[in-house]
Amino acid sequence: MAEQAGKIIGFCCNYTTQSSAEPLKEAGILPEGVELRRLSCTGKLEVSTILEAFNKEKADLVFVAGCPEEECHNFSGSRRASRRVKYTKQILKELDIDPERVEMFFVARQETEPVVEAAKEMLKRLEKLGPLSRQA
Amino acid sequence: MIIAERKPMKEILEMISGIKRLLILGCRGCVAVCSAGGDKEVNIMAEAISLGREQAGEPIEIDRDVLVRQCDPEYLEPLREKGKEYDAVLSMACGVGVNFIAETCPDIRVLPALNTTFYGANLSSGEWKEMCAGCGACILHLTGGLCPVARCAKHLSNGPCGGSVNGRCEVDPNTPCVWQLIYDKLNSLNLSENMKKIMPIRDWTPSGEGGPRRRLREDLLP
Repeated sequence: MAEQAGKIIGFCCNYTTQSSAEPLKEAGILPEGVELRRLSCTGKLEVSTILEAFNKEKADLVFVAGCPEEECHNFSGSRRASRRVKYTKQILKELDIDPERVEMFFVARQETEPVVEAAKEMLKRLEKLGPLSRQA
Repeated sequence: MIIAERKPMKEILEMISGIKRLLILGCRGCVAVCSAGGDKEVNIMAEAISLGREQAGEPIEIDRDVLVRQCDPEYLEPLREKGKEYDAVLSMACGVGVNFIAETCPDIRVLPALNTTFYGANLSSGEWKEMCAGCGACILHLTGGLCPVARCAKHLSNGPCGGSVNGRCEVDPNTPCVWQLIYDKLNSLNLSENMKKIMPIRDWTPSGEGGPRRRLREDLLP
């Protein structure tokens, strides 16, 4: 896959991907420019952590890949994550940043492919939206 | 508890325009319980401001701190000196905290990050409802424990008004008529006779209409 200018950070849980980003990149499965952060559960993810990914880690887009809503190993973790993504979208909007820069995906557990698909979807958005403007 | 909510980010960014060093100060009292100004919200605010200012090409240096309460002098004491290191302190407490910082820390410019809204109960995670108006003259013993001052749009002492339709308020049909609730509650307690008692014209002086209120207990004074 062609290299993309820009950075995408994806937060996944141990159940939605059982591998870190590097082996997936080496196998040519995960596109360049995408970083994966594995959490014990996406319900652990805070709004401030998502904003920090844009802020300190200079991500242009962020996505969260959690278990299907009714199949979360921790019952309501991915549902909580999706609400936090929604709140992050609201904050981005208030800051005049396109809320499409952050997205929640509910993906099948114990398979890598749906997470990679989510990353590819975000890459398409990156092409459309371009890098996040940083004037500082 | 006191319920508050975050101001829109645009208002906050405008408020801190030109400020280069900012302390975001949370409070672990009521505003932490209603998820408006505790530790988590301080972190969100810091990241959001930082991102907003970066977008505008005006970087800002931000420190974060959270006090046990901003409405007690002992917790504010260290701020009197520490606060001088900053161009401003963005308080994430209720209006009481902001006022108290302004009054007790003379060299500090304090700004409000929240809109303080009402005294309310936590109905469920993420949902709060006004239950008390702090009117200073409680009549809950006459109304089955339900407050017409806080929960009637017209603050009627003798309700319901003619706008109560099918147990709903004419001001907002999504709101139950509190006088209907009072009637139902008194009925269930076999106290419906209370509804026939006419309450006297209310003295609003204790509610703050007579100026800022102050309470003094001599047995507790230092």
